[in-house]
Amino acid sequence: MEEELIRIKNNALSMIWDTDDAKELEEIKLQFLGRSGQLTLAMKQLPKIDPEKRKEFGILANEVKETIEGALKEKTHETKTQAVKSHVSKIDVTNPGIKPPLGHLHLITQAISEITSIFEQIGFGRVRYSEVEWDWYSFGALNFPEGHPARDDWETFFIDAEPSKKYGPMLLTPHTSSGQIREMENSKPPIKMLNLAKCYRRQSDVSHVPMFHQFEGLAVDQNLSIVNLKGVLDYFVKSYFGEKRSARIRPYHFEFTEPSFEVDVSCGVCDGKGCKLCKEGWLEMGGAGMVHPNVLKNSGIDPNKYNGFAFGWGVERVLMMKEGIEIDDLRLLYSNKLEFLEQF
Amino acid sequence: MNIKIIDSWLREYLDTKAKPAQIAKDLSLRAVSVERTEKIGDETVYDIEVTTNRPDLMSTRALAMEAAAVLSEEKIDAQFKDKKFPEASSADISFPIKIVDDPTLTNRIMAVIMEVKIGPSPKEISQRLELSGIRSLNNLIDVTNYVMREIGHPTHVFDFDLLNTKKMIIRKSKPGEELTTLDGKTYKLTGGDIVGVNDNGEIIDLLGVMGTKNSVVQNNTKRIMFFLDNLNPRLIRQTSMNLGIRTEAAIINEKGIDPELTEIAFKRGVELFKEIAGGKVISKVLDIYPNKAKTHTVNVELNKINSLIGVDVPASKSEEILKKLGFGVKINKDSLEVLVPTIRAAEVLIPEDVIEEIARVYGYHKLPSVVPAFLNNKSNSFADTFFYEDKIKNALKYWGYTEVYTYSLISEDMFDGPIEKAVKLKNPLTSDMEYMRTSLVPSLLKVVKENKSAEMIRIFELANTYHKKTNDLPEEKLMLSGVLKKQNASFFEIKGVIEQLLTDLGIKNYKFKQRGVPGAEVFIGQDRLGYIEIINSNLIDFELGFETILKHATLKKIYKPLAKFPPIVEDITFVLDEGINSEDVSEEIKLQSFLIREVTLKDQFENAKTFHIIYQAEDRNLTNTEIAEIRGQIITSIQSKFKASVK
Repeated sequence: MEEELIRIKNNALSMIWDTDDAKELEEIKLQFLGRSGQLTLAMKQLPKIDPEKRKEFGILANEVKETIEGALKEKTHETKTQAVKSHVSKIDVTNPGIKPPLGHLHLITQAISEITSIFEQIGFGRVRYSEVEWDWYSFGALNFPEGHPARDDWETFFIDAEPSKKYGPMLLTPHTSSGQIREMENSKPPIKMLNLAKCYRRQSDVSHVPMFHQFEGLAVDQNLSIVNLKGVLDYFVKSYFGEKRSARIRPYHFEFTEPSFEVDVSCGVCDGKGCKLCKEGWLEMGGAGMVHPNVLKNSGIDPNKYNGFAFGWGVERVLMMKEGIEIDDLRLLYSNKLEFLEQF
Repeated sequence: MNIKIIDSWLREYLDTKAKPAQIAKDLSLRAVSVERTEKIGDETVYDIEVTTNRPDLMSTRALAMEAAAVLSEEKIDAQFKDKKFPEASSADISFPIKIVDDPTLTNRIMAVIMEVKIGPSPKEISQRLELSGIRSLNNLIDVTNYVMREIGHPTHVFDFDLLNTKKMIIRKSKPGEELTTLDGKTYKLTGGDIVGVNDNGEIIDLLGVMGTKNSVVQNNTKRIMFFLDNLNPRLIRQTSMNLGIRTEAAIINEKGIDPELTEIAFKRGVELFKEIAGGKVISKVLDIYPNKAKTHTVNVELNKINSLIGVDVPASKSEEILKKLGFGVKINKDSLEVLVPTIRAAEVLIPEDVIEEIARVYGYHKLPSVVPAFLNNKSNSFADTFFYEDKIKNALKYWGYTEVYTYSLISEDMFDGPIEKAVKLKNPLTSDMEYMRTSLVPSLLKVVKENKSAEMIRIFELANTYHKKTNDLPEEKLMLSGVLKKQNASFFEIKGVIEQLLTDLGIKNYKFKQRGVPGAEVFIGQDRLGYIEIINSNLIDFELGFETILKHATLKKIYKPLAKFPPIVEDITFVLDEGINSEDVSEEIKLQSFLIREVTLKDQFENAKTFHIIYQAEDRNLTNTEIAEIRGQIITSIQSKFKASVK
């Protein structure tokens, strides 16, 4: 009888291992463990066995039953897993995914984020001063003489409003430099500020838009020098354009700085060697200078004790100079054509 | 101001073996920007940008001095060689015209009468002029232009016989006076222009700007009055801009020129007339010089030079540089005494001006770069306006919205509301950018119109609007606005965006209220935040005041201990009359017991609204009996308050 039990066990096991089909496993289960299954029938023979051998027989029979059940369970699980795998491997992974929504931030917002974060790391706190200003803040305090061309109504937008007795006519500021005066009136040195705001100039063509953005840096403390200004310019150029790029300054003229500089950035295409796209290896980026002592005085800061440097550039300009964004008409940035905006 | 300088001409004043490329490079790095260097035949032409504070550099001679200074600083052999022009010989005949000048208008007038032979200029002269961008006309006109380019002072020549006058009165023009310039154009003056007037009261010169037809040199001119006027720059600019006459003479004169230069240009001109036009002086030289050029001294502390530049510059080096630029220098113990030449007297006034001269020739490229490490006086706020602006923009981006930037200036018909309330430009560029907007919505709707082919549009903008104030700058208010264009656009999609936006900013007490027109008003507590506007079934916009958002936004986090006992959840459906707001019903339900944790509208079918109610106690499991009691209260109160029935 023992041999019979063992024969049943081996038979069941070999059949179980032989199949991958869930249905066949069900049939094997019936065949061995069902009401008329081989093992069931064998166990029914218990009364015919010698009483001394019944206990042994019972134990063995149970062992066989457990073994077969265990094998069935394992094989069933394995088969199910395989079924899932083969179902999953039938999907076409090159089909488009179900995408969550994704809109776009305007290029200018992206540039502003990058620029402000670069300067914040060297302690220039971001501010945003007003777009509609008084003549005093945009010109007078900045050391512009009476009759300077920028103060003409050919170049600057003036507001149809009563001028202020103290501050002169109302206008749309043509540069963020007015923020220098505002900042110096609001806080005392040491000052490290980045004013980023909208500016307006009376011109519109392929490389000029009447409304644009500028960022203006101002540092005021004791004994600041051209060496410090160079440090900040170099740091920005490397951070924004790349490690291989560098900045240089050349003599220039602004009413509100002395000395004044034109700032160039080395050409990214030819690495400063000179090519069709640049001027002998350099591209003009914007202006800078040491704050004119009159400007400090006009803002209530003692020029004998403090001095400073400042720089002001167009956001659109540095954005266009970044690789890959060579827009041929600046007005496209404000055209708000969705197929343009959705490229970024 | 741009000027073309000819290499061979420059070298008449500059002794150096340096090649044009080297000259261009060193000028650009230390003096003026040489935008382009062009080789034309045997010549090289430098295209130079002269900044408005250095009108003295609109001169070949002056640029040669700069070139010598910068080249020698670069250790390249270079010398400035000034030319000395002979005194203009005076004939013994007194000057035939009485020139009545006005010292408020003119700083200096020099003139002389000469006999001349008009004809073409020699090739070298006409070629240099043409390469400089000036048309060569005849030897007489050419001399005036040649002198201007070489010395940097405009000059003028009259046909003396055409002048035919005993007096020339120099005065301000009166409104309505007319003149015809030498190019044949007639102008009616608005007054305030510097004019020269003859015995008959006719205008015979628009001083400093352009000559007049009635006195211009002709093909048969035999006698000229060579005339140099040094004038009040402010009046020249006004005239030039008002009449739109932008000659090189006007451009230079409107910046102001050193009257000492008048004499150098005068002598050079007379010499040239003799050389190329058979010129013979036939009168005394007239020199009316009411406003003498002055020199002055600027004291510069040596400490300040080093401190401003950022490196130690030896006093001897500063002296060397300044002397090469034409300054006089005396080295004292702690400072330099710098004598400013007349040609620089107008713009070298303070120590910083002198230090700029030293620093630029020393070489900015030689200086190191050191970021200043100090911190400003302000404490940093992490959650400032910029933080929230970025957060909101990013949220909208990830919910599928595209950001636009539209112009702050709009046309009259785009302006919402009475136009008298608008901030208006006095001098707009075009009529579609004349008023400052008080809402972003019209601009956004314009963007929708301009993107007709897009089937679905989701755009937003965060920008200033401008509100007129009396006797003050307008108030600039940041607004957050958006537009949804879509087939069957859903109000609730926009509402959902706003709800999530506010929730993300920590704002919970927002409310949407009915409006007079389709859409809703949005409130945070008692503060009106903005509105949603349903324009039609495919177009919805919204506008929120960012300041109000800022006022309520918070990063503050409140921790509520987790519930120890499970909630009980059920749905009750009420049939309500039209016009009953679901929020009012929810609020009423909540009032029935503090064990009601949350009530939300789960479903709606015609007039039947299903409310999903969550009951929960912090300290025990709620029993069915308790729930039944509350449920009873809910049903009773809703039925009575809203005349509803339970479904």
